[in-house]
Amino acid sequence: MKTVTIDPITRLEGHGKITIFLDKDGNVDNAYLQIPELRGFERFSQGRRAEDMPQITSRICGVCPVAHHFASTKALDEAFHVKPPAAASKLRELMYCGYFIYDHILHFYFLGGPDFVVGPDAPASQRNILGVIQKAGVDVGKEVIKHRAYGQKITAILGGKATHPVCGLPGGVSKGLDKEEVQEIKEMVKSCVDFSKFSLKLFDDVVLKNKDYVDMIKSDPYNLETYNMGLVDARNKVNFYDGMIRVTDQNAEEFLKFSGEDYTKHVSEHVEPWSYMKFPYLKKIGWHGLKDGKTSGVYRVGPLGRLNAADGMATPLADTEYKRFYETLGGKPVNSTLAYHWARLIELLYATERATELINDSDITSKHIRNPVGEPSEGVGVVEAARGTLIHHYNLDKNGLIEKANLIVATTNNAGAITMSIRDAAKGMIKKGEINNGILNKIEMAFRAYDPCFACATHSLPGGMPMEINIYDKNKKLYKTIKNF
Amino acid sequence: MKTIVLGIGNPILGDDGVGIKVVRELKKHLKDPDVKLDEAATGGINLLDQIIGFDKAILVDTIKNKNIRNGEIKRFPLGELSSSHSFNPHDIGLPEACKLAKRLGETRIPHDITVFGIALDKMQYEFGEELSEEISKTVPKTVDMIMSELDDDKKDPVEEI
Repeated sequence: MKTVTIDPITRLEGHGKITIFLDKDGNVDNAYLQIPELRGFERFSQGRRAEDMPQITSRICGVCPVAHHFASTKALDEAFHVKPPAAASKLRELMYCGYFIYDHILHFYFLGGPDFVVGPDAPASQRNILGVIQKAGVDVGKEVIKHRAYGQKITAILGGKATHPVCGLPGGVSKGLDKEEVQEIKEMVKSCVDFSKFSLKLFDDVVLKNKDYVDMIKSDPYNLETYNMGLVDARNKVNFYDGMIRVTDQNAEEFLKFSGEDYTKHVSEHVEPWSYMKFPYLKKIGWHGLKDGKTSGVYRVGPLGRLNAADGMATPLADTEYKRFYETLGGKPVNSTLAYHWARLIELLYATERATELINDSDITSKHIRNPVGEPSEGVGVVEAARGTLIHHYNLDKNGLIEKANLIVATTNNAGAITMSIRDAAKGMIKKGEINNGILNKIEMAFRAYDPCFACATHSLPGGMPMEINIYDKNKKLYKTIKNF
Repeated sequence: MKTIVLGIGNPILGDDGVGIKVVRELKKHLKDPDVKLDEAATGGINLLDQIIGFDKAILVDTIKNKNIRNGEIKRFPLGELSSSHSFNPHDIGLPEACKLAKRLGETRIPHDITVFGIALDKMQYEFGEELSEEISKTVPKTVDMIMSELDDDKKDPVEEI
């Protein structure tokens, strides 16, 4: 058996390792993704004051601090039996839109987009944001930077700090908005709506008008027919901040709909001996291995999962795009992993439109932004992180200290799907042992589409993503190594 | 000359937080209106946002390289970093971010970006606020190194790259 290892993964640090096993003919037998998980969070949080959790958990991951902050804050709302005032919920959701704006912009233009704008076969040295600017122009680059910064600024105004927000409290938020801040946010949000429209147009011009790309999006190796999961509002429209968890099946019909506190009734986690990562699955179906289809409990989260799990977008422009998305890609559900990129841009547009609604809401300058808390107990908080459903679950003792904490993070929810996408992409693109960096980038594209954030998002210098490919023969002896560093 | 000293790391991830600890320790010793002390969690674009507008940036972070021993402190210009990749899975690296900013006409990038890298022999995967014994020893050493570098900069402010 031959083994191909990509270690670590370019542009997505962490110490993920993709291992591809080839059979005796040099075709892909199987592929695995291995990621070390951060350990000991439960022990670390035991005995801490519950109200510190939104700050502590925002440190877990350098990528989604805002998502952890609010999943945590919402778990505390439940645990302390308190409903935030309407204004506080709106302020939180507005801030959450800011987070989606900068996070989705960063992913499309810096991480996922270069594969399309510059091309999947372009040298790695050009397949980055500088390559995008080379192609799209310096002015586009300036707009990208400007609007990403706007998203950050909105988050910082509301959250106190952009990276590690301090505003979320059980029962509300610590800070409201004054008139000047409202004005400032209004202007930024307006510009962000235009930029989102521009980004969708760019996607149209660069990707959808290129037959090769559309064929690639629709091709078998990038197709995965799993269940889909995401938060929806009362009308089953996508919502990032609040709502019910909805799961739809391979015919886009509702399979499950439940509130966060019931997640343990519907979702369980499978453990594989070769992976630190757990594989969540739908209990009702069960774990039947890494396969897709109706008889497998694997589901997908994130932009594509959310769009598939909903009946539309709650804002008009995004909803129009939503319809066009399904018309263009052959109906619902869309199962192409590469369609995550388009879905992400539709969500970007929704985030900007929703932010527009919220900043123009008369409640937004209300001073009533916190309600008194009740007795401590147990609480589950669910939000949609940019990359998928995120669940925090705490048990508090009578003094309001943490007894037990359990988190299911977005990328974990996608663990089964990511592993299968890598395997399928590898199968489609490595034939008879023929391997080169271009092919490997296409496998990475399957993976990158999910915008995974690994808990091991440590930042050590140079850290770097030098890529190493180790090819082993059928006796697991190394016979070839390809490095890009 | 305006300088920023930026501790980078995760304060709840064991030795990974050493950069943050160094900056917090520096705060006790350093009172200089021209030097800002700050903390950062991620790399790339966010880091660039924080250092823009300063003449010099000193980054205190963990490094990993098979040729450097655990607890060794290395001082080097950012440009020496071989990788242009991110320190974070959802971001680009700082050298790449600087290149990007220059390409877009940004003129306020510090002309001197110096890294104090504290080597860890293994990545940190266990939550905790404490540093290991070996790495905690690097904190006073790194603080001294940075203090004397800031002193030297004062004496000889024209020294540039």
